[in-house]
Amino acid sequence: MSLAGTTTKDADGTAARIARPPRQPRSSSPDRIGSALPLMLPALAVYAVFTLAPIAMTFWLSFTDSGGFNTTANFVGVDNYVRATQDPIIWQSLVRTLLWVIYHLVLAGGLGLVLAIAISRLRTTQVFFRTAFFLPHLVSLAVVGVIWANIYDPFYGLLNTALERIGLGNWTQGWLSDPLLVLFSVNVASSWQGFGLYMLLFIAGLQNIDPSLYEAAEIDGANEWHKLRDITLPGLSEVMTFVVSLALINGLKGFATVFVMTGGGPFYQSELITTYIYRLAFSAQDHGLAAVLCILLSLFAISITIVFNRWRARQSA
Amino acid sequence: MRRKGSEWPIVLGLIPVFVLILGPFAWLIISSLKTEAEIGRADPFALPGDLMWRNYLDAWQIGGFGGLIANSFINLAGVVALTLITCAPAGYALAKIRFPGREWLFYAMIFGLTIPVQAIVIPLYQVLFSLGLVNTLLGITLAQVSNGIPFGIFLMRSFFMGVPDELTEAARMDGASHFEILRTIMLPLSTPALQALVIICALSTWNDFFLPLVVLISPSVQTLPLGLVRFASTYASEYRLVFSGTVITFLPIILLYLLTQRRFTEGLTQGALKG
Repeated sequence: MSLAGTTTKDADGTAARIARPPRQPRSSSPDRIGSALPLMLPALAVYAVFTLAPIAMTFWLSFTDSGGFNTTANFVGVDNYVRATQDPIIWQSLVRTLLWVIYHLVLAGGLGLVLAIAISRLRTTQVFFRTAFFLPHLVSLAVVGVIWANIYDPFYGLLNTALERIGLGNWTQGWLSDPLLVLFSVNVASSWQGFGLYMLLFIAGLQNIDPSLYEAAEIDGANEWHKLRDITLPGLSEVMTFVVSLALINGLKGFATVFVMTGGGPFYQSELITTYIYRLAFSAQDHGLAAVLCILLSLFAISITIVFNRWRARQSA
Repeated sequence: MRRKGSEWPIVLGLIPVFVLILGPFAWLIISSLKTEAEIGRADPFALPGDLMWRNYLDAWQIGGFGGLIANSFINLAGVVALTLITCAPAGYALAKIRFPGREWLFYAMIFGLTIPVQAIVIPLYQVLFSLGLVNTLLGITLAQVSNGIPFGIFLMRSFFMGVPDELTEAARMDGASHFEILRTIMLPLSTPALQALVIICALSTWNDFFLPLVVLISPSVQTLPLGLVRFASTYASEYRLVFSGTVITFLPIILLYLLTQRRFTEGLTQGALKG
């Protein structure tokens, strides 16, 4: 699990430390780098080889005509970037990814929030519901893909057969074959898996709200809606910022359910940036174009992180 | 947020949600015990005539689930152990040792937190290939450890920064090395952080799909989610096998969660909020 929105507090502190020497003398002198290096080395070595080097190499690849693994690559300037702007599937995958992220935020984030608020008011059954509603989050997204591909199966799937049995037969759909519906259908599967974590985070946020605020509001005659609007939601604002950034990043990384359930189809209607990268890299072997898309994906993720870090810094200030 | 008054209206409202959210699990488990003919009748609310435990035996043997679970377990143990070995010392160094270049090193390590693994997959595959690590559990393990290092270091560093400097400085005066301080003072104090890191790391490794899909090609080295996807597409028309195979895949982790529910929830929440 990767978590966005984590560096700001330190960014301020450490930036200040770089700018001027410590105000008061410390009890011991600064250590030499030699004392820290052995402790840093294992992490640094693994991370340099398997993360930092690939980041740099992706950047380089985007300026080459690399046509597959173990082929020679020539420098071609910005050719791949020009080709990227002309590729209709890239544009389509950008739009699909944007929709996908919005669906995930609304479905998973929204359900997490509503259920957290409801569950927090429970006493004897709180642990029961919290535990039960968290269960889908334990299932791998790939396995979720297998499960929901079967739920959506037009003839034997849970959804259509259940609709038939309860007399809503005319609601049955080709959930994964309808081009207008497919992205939403797959996202429901992803969000079913994703909401549990957001719910837990919201519950933790709700536990930090001072109960005496509610008692005071009740004495003043506030109704449920007022308490929700004036106490609960404002009290959740920090967790809310965090959950929104987490949901956006998780949405951006969405891959497994689409790959398993539709492979990006029909007619690229559920093709996301990530699934298109996989297709370009491992089927089409067009590594130059894939690398451009990789850089775009990174830029989106970095922008989300920066924007939400700023937002969080302003909230806690 | 605990109020006066009865909680039953909320419970009544939550029951339909409960049915919708957990319905898929119930349907899968019930269907996994049906015959192929019963599944063909397409009645999701019908119970199986005889409980077909044979489905599980068949799926287990045909799908090679024993091997898949063993691979997943080796992978999980490797990632958890290596993550702790790499992230705890590095987090300590970045929190408590004031060495030149510390800020830059920290930012370099944290930078990876923002980069999705899909965005570096092509060179990552090349690196693994040139080291002879494609199609090996060691290769996938190292790639996953590296992917988790930014979060792990960040978590450990924030925790260690909360430990008062007096403790470490006093030990330094007594001539203890940083390694000794880490081992004898810091690690015993940091059970909550280590627990959170282990839980988050274990869950994401057990459920990872993207890196195994890219790196693990032969069925004999594949992990559980990847193996199930391959199994489900090979036997797509034999629903009883797909259903029981799917249940085999998610049941162990759900049972483990139910047994350790309180610790699991606490570790996951605290880890995520600290990170």
